[in-house]
Amino acid sequence: MHIGHPRRLAAIALSAAWCAVGTPGSAQQLPEVHGNFSADGQYYNDDPDIGAVPPPQTWGFNAWGNVVMTMGRFQAGLRLESYEPSLLGYPAGTPYKGSGIGYRYINYHQADLDITVGNFFEQFGQGMVFRSYEERYLGVDNAMDGVRVKYRPLPGLYLKGVMGRMRLAFDDGTVKGEGLVRGADAELSISELDSAWSHNWNLILGGSFVSKYQTAASQLVTQPDGSVAQLEMPANVGAWAGRLNFTSPRWNVYAEYAYKINDPNRRNNYIYKPGQGLLVNATYSTRGLGVSVGAHSYDNMLYQSARNAPTPFDLNINFLPPLTKQHTYNLPATLYPYATQPNGEVSYQGEVFYKFKKGTPLGGKYGTKIALNGSTAVGLDTTGVDLLTDSARTGYRSSLFAGNYDIDGKYFTDLNVELRKRVSETWELALTYLYFEYDIDVIQGKPGKPLVFADMVVLEGLHNFNDRTSLRFEVQHLWTKQDLGNWATAVAELTFSPHWFVAAQDQYNYETFGSTFIKDGKEVPAERTHYPIGSVGYIRGGNRFQVNYGRQRAGIFCVGGVCRQVPAANGLTVSITSTF
Amino acid sequence: MRTPRSLHALALVLALPFAACDKVEQPYETVQDGGGNGGGGVVRKVLLEDMTGHRCNNCPAAAAQATALQAIHGENLVVIAVHCVNGFAAPLPPIGDNILDSDHRTPEGTAYESAFGITFLPTGLISRRPFNSVLQISDGDWGDAVNAIIGDSTAFHLWFDALTVGGGSVSTTVKLALLGPVTGDHNLVVALTEDHIIDWQIDVNATPPEVPDYEHRHMLRGNLNGTWGVPAIVGSAAAGDTLTFTYSNPLPASVLNPDNCALVAYVYDAATKEVMQVEERKFQP
Repeated sequence: MHIGHPRRLAAIALSAAWCAVGTPGSAQQLPEVHGNFSADGQYYNDDPDIGAVPPPQTWGFNAWGNVVMTMGRFQAGLRLESYEPSLLGYPAGTPYKGSGIGYRYINYHQADLDITVGNFFEQFGQGMVFRSYEERYLGVDNAMDGVRVKYRPLPGLYLKGVMGRMRLAFDDGTVKGEGLVRGADAELSISELDSAWSHNWNLILGGSFVSKYQTAASQLVTQPDGSVAQLEMPANVGAWAGRLNFTSPRWNVYAEYAYKINDPNRRNNYIYKPGQGLLVNATYSTRGLGVSVGAHSYDNMLYQSARNAPTPFDLNINFLPPLTKQHTYNLPATLYPYATQPNGEVSYQGEVFYKFKKGTPLGGKYGTKIALNGSTAVGLDTTGVDLLTDSARTGYRSSLFAGNYDIDGKYFTDLNVELRKRVSETWELALTYLYFEYDIDVIQGKPGKPLVFADMVVLEGLHNFNDRTSLRFEVQHLWTKQDLGNWATAVAELTFSPHWFVAAQDQYNYETFGSTFIKDGKEVPAERTHYPIGSVGYIRGGNRFQVNYGRQRAGIFCVGGVCRQVPAANGLTVSITSTF
Repeated sequence: MRTPRSLHALALVLALPFAACDKVEQPYETVQDGGGNGGGGVVRKVLLEDMTGHRCNNCPAAAAQATALQAIHGENLVVIAVHCVNGFAAPLPPIGDNILDSDHRTPEGTAYESAFGITFLPTGLISRRPFNSVLQISDGDWGDAVNAIIGDSTAFHLWFDALTVGGGSVSTTVKLALLGPVTGDHNLVVALTEDHIIDWQIDVNATPPEVPDYEHRHMLRGNLNGTWGVPAIVGSAAAGDTLTFTYSNPLPASVLNPDNCALVAYVYDAATKEVMQVEERKFQP
């Protein structure tokens, strides 16, 4: 069976499911069909004040719909997608255009065996050597297209094997990367294997191996002295990882180590140094108290299934989890979000959550929650090896957790404290202070920008007028003397349950109260720009409609440590989501 | 406990990827000539459109890659640097401080950016032909993509029959001879490029990264016959046909030094946009 053609496989998938309906003995099993739909359209206006330039088509439109049919042991699904054209800045990597089938699969499950042919997402451990996933609103989608087998030969022993090529782009259908990815994972859950362990205590051990294959072409590189050299590229690049996870009612300790052999690629300047990474997380929780600490170090661990992938967002085989907190408030989330630096990073995080009980001096009538969080990320401390004299082309020497803690090695620091309290039957307030240090040069790839020091305060409030009507608001301010200067943001959301909501937001970038501002070392006239946006939404059953109109600031949009650039825009946005 | 035979088979399958690691101890090889200089017959040349911008910090590395490839392939590889994508190519405010103030964009470049969906830099088009299923090709893959085309036999023989420069204008005659039958509509474009432009560029590998005296190469200044050129073959053409195209245009106002300019003529398939043949003629040989 040739499985490469998406339309052919989709037809086979649906046919298989329908054939199953007619199978003797399955008369009671009726097929179930589920799915969802999402569409985002944006009309662009010209707005020179914020640098918004409408594309020739003036409308951008992203839409997709999933249909999943389940019948007994079979499941088949497909997703149709349309980008006519895609929204500006979407996706982060290689462009999407046109309409067609973006995802299709057949799955068969029997007893301890699970087989998928076609597209699938999968992850080994925390994903340090393999994670195929999607984040649709970022445009991240490295879905595998191939075969996945999962098998449980013994209670507590879980085996997985995957093989396929990864999604790279979309052009009236998926465009796959050249590299072939093969991987295997085994996981042993002691408590399931050995009855001496209670189900409250468990130790999970796991190991993975992944290999990518790409034709072993020669690669031209320009040497530091301007000469041109030709390199022999490895066709097969393997990576392995080992992990353990201890859990108890109060403790959860996780550690994973990954190693990758020589993987010369465009992002590491074609060096042959092996990569490695180690992450450790520990959490302790009890009633009213939660503590977590974590650390990781990544060295030369960008792992893509094409050595010359167009961008760092494309064809990623692995995922290196971030340790820094993923903020949801507007200013910290959109102005200075942090993304993991896969080729060199040492990071630490600590967090404490405590709830003062009701009736105590600090708890008051309803109790008080406080959360302290701190994280930092710095570059690796490396010793360069001269490419002109090193015949092995290792590039540099380094050690895990040997970080560059000087100011020039600092990537990111986030210290924040949140106080959340219900003050009456109808009011709840949260006050958050954040301190950021942010290296625009490294994180956003804009060399020459100074390290940003920023303080932020956020006041969030929720007032319930009655059981059906509530108002949520945020007032935020950010102070910095670098980059774009000061920002203030106000958000108000009025909800009329169960169907309607209206919201208004304004980001105001006023740089400074003075008439001039120091930008990139130069004194320039201060700018004052508003970014207002209003929204109306209607929700009914599984359907959600939303209309926004206003300005969208150029910036960075991140989800889970993965970011994309969003260009400035002014216009109308219409969103529809539906599930069935 | 006796292990089931099926488990052995499964373990074997799962172990297969473990054999897949190639450790390279001595990676350096001798630089090979791509073969584009030999022969003397008419072979297919390649157009490399280096999509770039003066605010693109990784673009100088891509430009170096183009230069390295030209050192190998010689005149069989023609490079045009197309400055595009506003976020990378627009002048950097505040305008007037003379730092990254130049605007190297062209209407043609903006049209190509839109038509080929260029959203990130650096990237390149290799004769506007997909390589590994994508049209926008990473500079690391330019060498392989060029090798996949260059030196192939071709039905298109393209040359500059005349070139006159003076008085702020350029006149040229381009000839296209067909060495074999050709089907499908094909267009001819004549572009004007300027080399050795010294101006600002952001370079991630430089310290400081804002380089005031960067040498910009092969910069597109404009086309003599429109963004998409003119029809050269409509429907089909027979072997032996020779077509002549004559132009006389003022030099674009952006040209700094005519002595550093060149004309690039290329023929592309109007349906697929693939460039089938390209030829370059410098004003000063």
